[in-house]
Amino acid sequence: MASPSERFLLHPMLPEAAITDDKEIHQRKEFLEFRDEDVERLQGINELAKKYADDVIEQFYHHLLQFEETRTFFREPRVLARVKELQREYFLGLTQGNYDAQYIANRVSIGAVHERIDLPVKAYLGMYNFYLRAVASRLFEAFKEAPDRALATFFSLMKLTFLDIGLAIDTYIYSRETTIREQQEAIRELSTPVLLLREGLLLLPIIGLIDNQRARQLTEQLLHSVRTNRAKVIVIDITGVPSVDTQVANHLIQAIDAARLMGARTIVTGVSPEIAQTLVTLGIDLSRVTTVGDLQNGIEQAEQLLGLTVVRVDGAAQPPQARES
Amino acid sequence: MQVPILKQGGYLIASIQDALTDDDLAHLQTALVRQVRQFRSRGVIIDVTALDVMDSFASRTLRHIAYMTRLLGAQTVIVGIQPDIAFSMVQLGLTLEGIETALDLEEGLMCLARQGRYNRDR
Repeated sequence: MASPSERFLLHPMLPEAAITDDKEIHQRKEFLEFRDEDVERLQGINELAKKYADDVIEQFYHHLLQFEETRTFFREPRVLARVKELQREYFLGLTQGNYDAQYIANRVSIGAVHERIDLPVKAYLGMYNFYLRAVASRLFEAFKEAPDRALATFFSLMKLTFLDIGLAIDTYIYSRETTIREQQEAIRELSTPVLLLREGLLLLPIIGLIDNQRARQLTEQLLHSVRTNRAKVIVIDITGVPSVDTQVANHLIQAIDAARLMGARTIVTGVSPEIAQTLVTLGIDLSRVTTVGDLQNGIEQAEQLLGLTVVRVDGAAQPPQARES
Repeated sequence: MQVPILKQGGYLIASIQDALTDDDLAHLQTALVRQVRQFRSRGVIIDVTALDVMDSFASRTLRHIAYMTRLLGAQTVIVGIQPDIAFSMVQLGLTLEGIETALDLEEGLMCLARQGRYNRDR
């Protein structure tokens, strides 16, 4: 059984093709002025890279393991070995001279992996910082006689690493955004239940803040429920709404008006003293809205409108208080 | 397009089947008001189920029809406003204030029957 981090390494998830699309890659490279001469320069130090790769990687992981925050990711020796090997591949890949779509896709997937295992961005950036410094010192050492070449090569390397960093960060952002989007979706779906309480009677309990989008969705759902359930009366309970402003009140009134156009009457319940004060102070016209103190009264009134009465059957279980008294 | 008006007992039923021009709406208004007087109708149902747009003119005409028929002693009920239409109407501020609405033709007929009973009992 592979550990979580390893599993993700084996099955990296590619984010939206947007990042890896050819035109986009070209733009990114152009922005960094990463051109053919850079590729040549990087290729030129490939042999050199092979020589000091192991050394740099060892140093790098030694550095990583000094920090508790990053150490937690490499508790298992197996994972550490595998990650080192991948790191070595990447390190050599930097000077291989091939930075095509395949390379980009690979970088993107690695970014996604790091995001999934929750590696902090600062650690990720720190890694590049470490690499650049480690390589720079060796590069200038190796090209002692040609400092110009060393500098040019270093710049080429810097361009490439910034390209990689850009991709990785975008992947981070993309992943987080996806998560947020999914959660928002889930919250939205959870937050607006329209319940059929009796024949022709819908209950709409609203909990939490109402924003424009939610209000719109709520109204839509309500109206469709009115049609499918042939509802004549709707009870909207706002006990769980912490505060109301002009906009929210208007949204509610709109929903109520729209429901009325479809022949359904609405009763609003659970208006708190605070909300009552706010509504009156804001001067919101609620004369068209029927309001009832609490949900129980609201339901009772709704039943009345529907011509229903609730009758206790003899011998049925009594509520506890009634039995005691 | 002329809107067919059906006489059903003491009620008139106008079923709008297609998008209407302003002229069509004006025709509908005249025809309904005339027939309410002619047949001494007690109720009018305007079914807009098939409409996919309701602009301010249409909404105003419906309101006017309701007021006019009321003066002639007939209650008007608008039925079949679809959810999306209802939503866009309130956003445009077209709330058909003071006019009976019902989900569909059946509910509309029940609504008129209820009103009729109420009026008789009084």
